Amino acid sequence: MYDFDWSSIPGALPFLWDGMKISLEITVSAVIFGVVWGTLLAMMRLAPVKPLAWFAAGYVNLFRSIPLVMVLLWFFLIVPQLLRSFFNLDPNTDVRLTSAMIGFALFESAYYSEIIRAGIQSVPKGQVAAASALGMTYAQAMRLVVLPQAFRNMVPLLLTQAIVLFQDTSLVYMSALADFFGAAYKVGDRDGRLVELLLFAGAVYFFICFAASQLVRRYQKKLNAHVAH
Amino acid sequence: MISIDNVSKHYGSFQVLTDCTTQVKKGEVIVVCGPSGSGKSTLIKCVNGLEPFQSGNIIVDGISVGDPKTNLSKLRSRVGMVFQHFELFPHMSITDNLSIAQEKVLGRNRDEARAKGLKLLERVGLKAHADKFPGQLSGGQQQRVAIARALCMDPICMLFDEPTSALDPEMINEVLDVMVELAQEGMTMMCVTHEMGFARKVANRVIFMDKGQIVEDDSKDAFFGAPRSERARQFLAKILQH
Repeated sequence: MYDFDWSSIPGALPFLWDGMKISLEITVSAVIFGVVWGTLLAMMRLAPVKPLAWFAAGYVNLFRSIPLVMVLLWFFLIVPQLLRSFFNLDPNTDVRLTSAMIGFALFESAYYSEIIRAGIQSVPKGQVAAASALGMTYAQAMRLVVLPQAFRNMVPLLLTQAIVLFQDTSLVYMSALADFFGAAYKVGDRDGRLVELLLFAGAVYFFICFAASQLVRRYQKKLNAHVAH
Repeated sequence: MISIDNVSKHYGSFQVLTDCTTQVKKGEVIVVCGPSGSGKSTLIKCVNGLEPFQSGNIIVDGISVGDPKTNLSKLRSRVGMVFQHFELFPHMSITDNLSIAQEKVLGRNRDEARAKGLKLLERVGLKAHADKFPGQLSGGQQQRVAIARALCMDPICMLFDEPTSALDPEMINEVLDVMVELAQEGMTMMCVTHEMGFARKVANRVIFMDKGQIVEDDSKDAFFGAPRSERARQFLAKILQH
């Protein structure tokens, strides 16, 4: 029988918390960037201007057809060099976090744009007609009438995607960036207590994601009740 | 005010409108009727450019709708439109529904827009509902708000696209009452509707459409007295039977 020894965890908590902050930073920045860029992509894809629609479709299909791990790996290999040459950074500056954020943001935008596109299409066409008939431009109709309704319907899906994204941030461990998972791995490796640390990390991920998805469900119920009104 | 001249429209090979020509003078009330699929809704949506058309001309208050150089948004802000399914903005209160376009399109300030909205809400008898949301109102009430919303823009004419077709029977009259009042005040109106009672009461002319063509374009009395076309006679016989 394996002999569990949890004693290395309490002392490592500050280090693990630093890792959690990195995971959350990546998640939050990717969600914000992903929603903004994803909205633009979705609007391009629905635009009557063909080249814009093609560009958006190409972007989305590209990122949805390659594994996240590979995207991240490319970004770890390419982006640090680009950043260094663009901004004349010292070769020792650590840009792994920045490149991770950029990689996640660009990747997640593709998924967000599909959610947002479905959300925009779920708003009845008559709403745009009514906004146009009142003299609003296409941009005003989108901003004032379509997107607010689309986002209200989409919030549960966007949050669910954010939960998946939070779990996926653990993939940055391969760049030796100490996110929560990476930090747990390092501590476990150092103390020879990998099993305990990974169990602990798994429990934390589970707790956070399960609690978050329960909140999303509750919000969804409230939303449905409101719509049925 | 509105001049429609030889307008044709097709979706691919399907011809929706064929050589439609008619005029609406200032202060006139025109009722457009016809069987479903006859192109009447499409025609009225061409008037404010919500539907593009391939040939012919539509001139509204001296401005050509089909001209690519025309600022359609500006023109639409002066032409009121009421839709079959109301199309109030469900995420905004009634007050905001009434004031948003006044503020964002006409540039009126908030107080001015609200005051105007409330005044018109009172006119359609719904002042007490100003702070509610569209989902809390009945269909008839929503349509009256939609009419008030269009009137807030001080339109030079009003287009109605089957304003009562989606309503329960007991709600039709409250909407028609508002429309009759509007007509009697001299508003220029083009109404796609099957409400022949409304046509009899206030229309100057009745246009009958079938298969994308204007088959009859007559004074009200001539149309209800003796329609010239067999198709219009059949249509009237069917809808006036009961």
